[in-house]
This record gives sequence, structure tokens and C-alpha cells, in this order.
Amino acid sequence: MPERVTEKDPEAVRAPAGDLERKARADALERPATVTAPADAAEAIFAVEDVHVFYGAHRAVRDVRLDLYKHHITALIGPSGCGKSTFIRCLNRMNDLIPSARVEGSIVYHGQDLYARDIDPVQVRKRIGMVFQKPNPFPKSIYDNIAFGPKVVGMKGDMDEIVERALRRAALWDEVKDRLKTNAFGMSGGQQQRLCIARALATEPDVLLMDEPCSALDPISTGRIEDLMLELKRDYSIVIVTHNMQQAARVSDFTAFFTVELDPEARHRTGAVVEYAPTEKLFTNPADKRTEDYVTGKFG
Amino acid sequence: MTGAQIAARAATQTTVIPRRSGSERAREGAFRVLMYGAVGLAFVALAGILADALADGLPVLSWDFLTRFPSRILPDRAGIESAIVGTIYLMVICAVLVVPLGVATAVYLEEYADRDRWWNRLVEINIQNLAAVPSVVYGILGLAFIVRGPLSLGNVLLAGGITLALLVLPVVIIVAREAIRAVPPSIREGALALGATQWQTIWKQVLPGSIAGIATGAILALSRAIGETAPLLVIGAAASPRFNPDGLDSQFTALPIQIFVWTQDPNRAFVERAAGAIIVLMAILLLMNSVAIWLRNRYEQKW
Amino acid sequence: MPERARVHYQEELERLENQALGALDLVVAMLDKTLEAIEHQDIELATLVILDDDQVDGRYLEVHQGILSLLARQAPVASDLRVVAALLHVIKHAERMGDQCVNIAKLLPVTGSEPPVQEELRSRVARMGVLARAEVLQAQRAFATRDIVLAEDLVRQDEEVNALNRECFGLVVELGTDADVREWGLTMMLMARALERIGDNAVDIGEQVAFVVSGLFREFTDATHPPRSERELRRQL
Repeated sequence: MPERVTEKDPEAVRAPAGDLERKARADALERPATVTAPADAAEAIFAVEDVHVFYGAHRAVRDVRLDLYKHHITALIGPSGCGKSTFIRCLNRMNDLIPSARVEGSIVYHGQDLYARDIDPVQVRKRIGMVFQKPNPFPKSIYDNIAFGPKVVGMKGDMDEIVERALRRAALWDEVKDRLKTNAFGMSGGQQQRLCIARALATEPDVLLMDEPCSALDPISTGRIEDLMLELKRDYSIVIVTHNMQQAARVSDFTAFFTVELDPEARHRTGAVVEYAPTEKLFTNPADKRTEDYVTGKFG
Repeated sequence: MTGAQIAARAATQTTVIPRRSGSERAREGAFRVLMYGAVGLAFVALAGILADALADGLPVLSWDFLTRFPSRILPDRAGIESAIVGTIYLMVICAVLVVPLGVATAVYLEEYADRDRWWNRLVEINIQNLAAVPSVVYGILGLAFIVRGPLSLGNVLLAGGITLALLVLPVVIIVAREAIRAVPPSIREGALALGATQWQTIWKQVLPGSIAGIATGAILALSRAIGETAPLLVIGAAASPRFNPDGLDSQFTALPIQIFVWTQDPNRAFVERAAGAIIVLMAILLLMNSVAIWLRNRYEQKW
Repeated sequence: MPERARVHYQEELERLENQALGALDLVVAMLDKTLEAIEHQDIELATLVILDDDQVDGRYLEVHQGILSLLARQAPVASDLRVVAALLHVIKHAERMGDQCVNIAKLLPVTGSEPPVQEELRSRVARMGVLARAEVLQAQRAFATRDIVLAEDLVRQDEEVNALNRECFGLVVELGTDADVREWGLTMMLMARALERIGDNAVDIGEQVAFVVSGLFREFTDATHPPRSERELRRQL
């Protein structure tokens, strides 16, 4: 619903488009992100402050400053090369796997800085799960796929129960309960991706990171996974990177728009957050012209 | 339009999809001839060798032949038992030494080593070189450092096994690396993202996924080792021993050595015995390669 | 700068906007005929006005269908979405304006072939017609150019129309005892009210301009004008 504004609020009607663009540029230089706090008091699960990610000397993402909220879905959108995948991989320290990668700034999760010296990345990844773009089940049985996570992190409990619980949460149990010992490679793409989601859920994380989870899937499978996401958000917090703006519009509560800039000092491209707002606002009345151009599909 | 009409029109008009020109077809034909010719030549050469060996050796084969010890004097009473047993022992020692070492090196190079460090690049280059070094050099290495020198084991079975292990180690490393590399990075990422350590990922996902490739490659490497004569000669394998090796510190012989010794003999009967031994050696090779191929077909991981 | 994308979609959106704003041209044409019919007591012209309304109604259906199609196929967002939502309002207001012209045209035969004419009343109604016409065109231009200042100016113009409407009311009250005269007077009042409604619809289109540009929906008010509640009262006249 558009806001109703009383006559006492002259700022409500903003200047025509040209001035808006100039103002947005100026804003962007001082304050990298146009950040809007959520309407209801949502609890933050990640507090990201001044994060920059470097590959060697090249700065891939700069100045990320935002909060990610518990039991909500946050979408990261933007053109290719804008650093959204790089950023999401910071949240579970997957960038550690790239030798030249370096993360500066702080990412605070449940009051702890994920990049503090005494933090074990293995423990981080137990609590913050990840699902990848192309489904990557192990070449083992469905049961062994799900059981792998709990086993390696040393979870106690009845493995059969753990596996069943994970498969139920991913809405896959009924389809596979009679063939748990068959090879996971025999499943369809959509099922494989749900298996990967179940696998990630088996270690009882509280955050699920999803890097373009549906781009390799057909529309029906995509729809089912989107429905799954909306169910899962009751118990988990989800961050999703997506190329598909309509998907971001459909499933997410908050959306962050990243863009690619030409870094003035070095002659390479760097990603930065342009705007971060509740999804409805970003898609009906974005504050920044760059966001407007991107979501309407006219540029970027 | 009817088919006849289409055909008639096609005859009078230029075709939309041009036919292959005459010269193109000629070139293709010439290439095929060359290709089949090359394959044929290889087959003919192989067949020639086989035929020769079979002609001489087949009559010699008998259970006695396989269970008697060799003789220097009487070809009729010469057998290859000690050579077969020696060969088998050598293979086992070689395998026990080379597989863990080769796989561990491959795991280090693929999973842990930082390619930017100069020492790792040095190791990589050296492995490629070592795989191409002539086997007699390994024999000299074995003689200088294992039979004599620091280890001073003497010309015993263990020394032979170690020398052969060093010979095929580069090949096993290369093959194991290929098999490990064939495991897609997405599997590793998936395992790590679930909270596995790097070692857990390697032990539980990467190695199991590459085991078929490693086994196949190891068997093929061993089948190369089986046929090596020069290094065993240099380190001093016995010729025609009338005993089986009774321990790692025993003298030994192997099929290639026995074959070599017998072919040198002026007595034509011994040369025929050598042909018989060749057939046995080739049968073992065939068996090993078949096992390797069967393993690959049955357990190969298609990603 | 990256390539422009979604050209077909943008063209379709533009076409839809032109169709909707074109409906306002049709309305102006109807209004012209109506005012001329009033001036010359031309009943045939009035009949033509009633027929013209079919065009406006047809345009309404076209634009409505076009909007549904665009929403279903193109998923417009952000300012595009606001434009589409605004066009639904614009076309509705245009259709209402057409209906008001028809109302006036239907009243014409009632005034009789030789109506008593009170010049003050007649001239005020005529002036309201002229102003209403100007408002419609200004609303159209404000929307096409996304000019908020022009849109807000409509309020001022409309106040003049509202003032004239109040004056007409006063004049009719004082019209006297002759039944024919009173009948004529009341008919004129109804026409005046219809013209005042046309003006209000034009102002509403102006409010849509502000919505498209700012994303905020705001009723235009001004410190020098009566508060909303009184305006509401006048609307009920």
C-alpha cells in the first residue's frame, strides 16, 4: 500500500528523476548503501559492518554494511560480477578455501565475530549451511548423503531419525522413503537440489545460505523449492543469491541490490551495495535510480 | 508439393545445403586409409611377435615347466618356478610400497600444496621428468644406494622391490592425481560446507570417489614394472637360481631376468624355453590388464 | 553504459499510456460539443455527445485489458508498476468525465426549446465549462510530462470552478417563483454540478501524477483552502 502522507510532510513528494540521480550518486559516495530498517522489530542474525573482500590485490566487494534478519528471507540481487556470491560465501567462511581471498571488516553472528582468530570455520559451517547453484549430491546413497554432515560434525543421536527429520523438512521424505539406499545420482535435478537442502538441514543449522539454488532447475522444481523456502523460514533464516528478480520479489522479505562499479583507483571492477530495503519497497518505489533501472530491466 | 516435384525442382535449382565436394571426399578417404594403415601396422607387428613366441614357446609349456626350477645345463628339466614366485613377490612388495606413497603424494599435491610456492612447482616438474627416465638409471640408483651405499641391503628381494617401486612411483603419482582431479570441486565444496575438515573431505569423499581410477592406474603401473629387466639386472638379480626366495633378504630372480638369461644361451632349446616364459609373462600381463579394465568399467565414477 | 533492454516492453507501456491519455482528448472533444450544444440549444449535437461516450467506454476497455495483459506478461515493478496502477485510475476518471458530459447532454432537451435565460447563471455555467476543459488538458499534460507543479496547480484552478458552482447555487436559490424558470434554473444547477465533477476528476488525475513520481499518494490541499472535511461536504452537493 502506498503511504498516505499528511499535508505537513512536504518532503514526501520528491524531486523529478534528474535530481534524484544526482542525489543518489552523492549519497552513494558518502554512505554506500541506502538502508531501510524493517517495519516490525525483527531480530538481526548477522550484523555486517564495513566488509571488503579482496582476491589478492583486487577488491571484489567493498563497503558492505547491513543486517540480516532472523526468520526472514533476504535476497541479494545484481548484475554479473557484482560480488553477491562472493559476499554470501563470507557468511560461512567458504572464501577461506580460496588462498588469495581476504576478508576485512566484521561479520557478527550471535554476538561473535565470524572472522575472529579463535573461531573454527568448521564450527561456523555446521551452523550456517549452504546450498549451491548446481545440485551436488555425493555419489552415495540418499541415506549416506544426508548422514554425512551429522557424522563429520559428530552429532549424537539415532542416525535414522536424523535422516528422516531432515528429509521431512525438505519435503522429500514421502518421495524417497522407500529408496533411501539407492544412489542419489538417480534422482531428478529438482529432487537432487532438495536432497542438498535436506543434507544442509541435517546438521541443524539456523541459517541457510543459497547461492542461486534454482538456476539449474525447471520452473516446476523452482516453484517447489520456493514454496519450501517459505515454509523453512519459520525455523531458519535464509539468505539467497538470485539472478531472477521475479524470484527475489516472490520469496524474499528483504532485498539488497549490488552493482558493479569501476574502481577509481585500480582499473578493475568492484561490487557494492546500492540499496537494501524491504522487498516490497524496493520493487514498488526504490530509492536509488540505479536500483530502479535494474529491477525494471532497462539497464544493468 | 509431391516428392517428385521437390526432386525435380532440386535438380534444376542450386541446393540450399551444398553437397560435400569431390576433393573433400578424396581427402577424407586418404585420411581413413592412413589411419587404418597405421593401426594395421601396429597389429601386424604385435601379431608377428606373438606368433613367433607362440610358435616356439607353446610346445614347451607344461605343468612341469611351471613347477621346476631353472637349470643351466639341461633344458628339458628347466622350469620357471623361481622366476614366477620371484616376480609375484616383487609385485607385492612394489605394490605395498608404491600405492600408499603414490596416493599420499598425489593427495598432497592436489589438495594441500599451494601452487604458488616454488618447492611445490619443483616437485611437479620433477615428477613429470622422473616418469620418463630410462629404467636402467633406476637400476643404477638401486645399486648405489639400496644394494650398496647407505642401505646396503645386498642384492635381495627387498632391494628389488624398492627399486621397482621407485621406478613406477612417478607413474602412480600421475595417475592418482588424475583420478583425484576427476572428482569435481563441487563435491569438495559440498562436503566442506557441511562442516567437514579438509582431511574428512579427502578421506570420505575424494578418495572413495577416485579409488577406481587409482586402482586401475596402479595396476597398469605394476604391469609395467613386471616387465622391467634392466634395473633388476643392474642390482644383481640371480640368474637361474634353483630355489624360491625365502624372505625379504633372500636372493631372487624374476621372469624377465630368466627370459634374458635363456635367450643368451647358444643352446636353441633354452631359447625355446625363453619363449615359453615369455608366454607366461604375457599371460600374467594380460590378466593384470583385464583386471584393471574390469575394475574401471565396474566402478568408474561418472560425475 | 549497458545496452537498453526490454525495448518491446517499454514501447508497450508507452502505447498504453498514450491510449489512456488519448481518452482525455476524446473527453475534451465531447466537452466542446456539449458546451456548444448548451450555447446554441442544439439537441442534435447533444445526441452526438451521447454517442461519443461509446468511444470513451471502448477506450476504457482497451486500456483496462492492456493493463491486465502487461501485468500478466511483463511483471512491471517500481516506477513502471506505479504508472500502470495510475493509468487504471486515469482511464477510470476519463470514463467518468465522459459520463458527466452525457449527463449534461441528456439535460439539454429538458430545458425546453425556448428556455428562460438568466444571463448571470448561464454565463457562469459557460465559464465553468471553459475552465473544466482547461483543467482536463492541463491534467493530461501534467501526466504526460510527469510535472508535479502543473498537477498541483490544478487545485487552484479547480477552486475557481468550485467557487462558480457555489455562486450558481446561490443564484438558483434566488430565482423566483415561476415554475418554468425554476425548472430551468435547477437544470442549469445540475449541469454546473456535472462540470464541477469533471474538474474534480481532473484534480484526481493530478494526484496520480504525484503518485507516479514520488510513490506516495497524497490528496492535494493547500493552506489557503478549506480543510478536507468541508470539501467533502461540497462534493455531496
